[in-house]
Amino acid sequence: MEKQEILSAIQKLVADILEQKGLDVVTLDASTELLGGELGIDSLDLATLVRELEETTGRDPFSEGFIEFRTAGELADLYVR
Amino acid sequence: MTTAPGLPLEAGDGAALVARGAAVVSREELRRRSDELAERLRQEGIGRVMVVSDDPVDVLRAIDACARAGADLWVAHTNLPGAMVEELSREFRVQLQIGAQDEARSVAAPTADTEPATDGDGAPQARIFMMTSGTTGRPKVATHTLGSLLAKVRTSASVSANREGRWLLTYQPTGFAGVQVMLTAALSHGLIVVPEERSPQGFFEAARRWEVAQISGTPTFWRSFLMATPPGALELRQITLGGEAVDQATLDRLKERFPTARITHIYASTEAGVVFAVHDGLEGFPKSWLEQPVQGVELRLRDDLLQIKTPNAMQGYLTEAAQPLLEGGWVATADRCEIVGDRVRILGRQDSTINVGGSKVYPLAIEGFLLGLPGVVEAKVYAVPNPISGALVGADVVLAPGSEPSEAKKAILARCRAELATYQVPRVFRVVDAIQVGTSGKKG
Repeated sequence: MEKQEILSAIQKLVADILEQKGLDVVTLDASTELLGGELGIDSLDLATLVRELEETTGRDPFSEGFIEFRTAGELADLYVR
Repeated sequence: MTTAPGLPLEAGDGAALVARGAAVVSREELRRRSDELAERLRQEGIGRVMVVSDDPVDVLRAIDACARAGADLWVAHTNLPGAMVEELSREFRVQLQIGAQDEARSVAAPTADTEPATDGDGAPQARIFMMTSGTTGRPKVATHTLGSLLAKVRTSASVSANREGRWLLTYQPTGFAGVQVMLTAALSHGLIVVPEERSPQGFFEAARRWEVAQISGTPTFWRSFLMATPPGALELRQITLGGEAVDQATLDRLKERFPTARITHIYASTEAGVVFAVHDGLEGFPKSWLEQPVQGVELRLRDDLLQIKTPNAMQGYLTEAAQPLLEGGWVATADRCEIVGDRVRILGRQDSTINVGGSKVYPLAIEGFLLGLPGVVEAKVYAVPNPISGALVGADVVLAPGSEPSEAKKAILARCRAELATYQVPRVFRVVDAIQVGTSGKKG
């Protein structure tokens, strides 16, 4: 998948999480910090997001251990083939 | 008793002890408030107290005053629902609830079996009862004394190595780990920094404002904290990881980000408190520790499970024990280990407990909750491994005939979010036709 496709998938999954939490849906871009406070998601939400990205993309970039990322773009990069 | 009970807080010592936002409470202020409470306990003959608050000032005030007035103290875990706190309060015949407002309660007279314990000399020694977290089912209640808690803190080396430290409180102040951090700060003339909001950003902002140098948290906390903290923003001296097994990648990231900090991961159990601490930056612990006692503790493997023998074991359970005590004072843990070269790696719990970011989830309890919801006929709850939180809760559910799956799923998850703690909510949720049952008759 292309980076832009993965970013769209992240946007949709984050929107689902925010909607479930009863929060306003926020538009994100590659520079949005996932836990920077703008989005209103916590680390368990982020864990859920990573799990769902694995299902969407069929890839698990963390299979060898944790890789650090801060922004939506950095997360998307991990899934680009 | 030979030493004066209570915390070393002197009148006239204006040093800050607890900071939250811009507000601080000094050591002398806490002393004064604790004196008032101890006086009330003595005057009114109160021997059974419960603290119901997530404010460290209330928890420390209660611990100190009860130890000095000889009153038993129950520390209600923040995660317990109000109705459960009420039930426990009645059951233990609590006479005073400590919180934002201290509240006297009317109770029946205590019976003989609930009289305070005595130490060797026959003098009454106040007990501290700490609870496990969890919103489903009854919490386990473990018995300590202030003396036994302080002994564990003193031997943990955090006190001597971090005099006048500035500690970020990442744990709930009502849990065992949170109390340990608070007592460490109280003993070592340190500062307890409380975040205004328990989010990665809230933790970072509190740490930056108060120039925190010491942080103790779970590996899951650290992974999210790394993401919220820009490089160079903090100068940490002590990084402590506990509550779940830590992986090498997380240790390496911490070392890279905070090159001058001492990085310690600790192994603790509810029964024994902190068992050992590892400072060499490698996951697991040296295999040589299985051959000779280390830090006053003996370790051994039996069927790949870790067993420990420690002088600091807690005094017992008010409720049923979580881990069996074996012959010769050994405690059997459920932590499965493997030996790799000269290292022992901890692989995780042998039992089915799901560790979500350091919080324990008991699958049976969540299955019980799901089965109590309308339209759910069978449920299986399991761990889904996850790089961020270690694990997430997964649930497979069988619906009653005629239910519309997507509507039912929405309704079930809404109830979960409303009634369970966030870490207990199933993050992977599937509606299935059937759940496999093993030959033993148990859910496979």
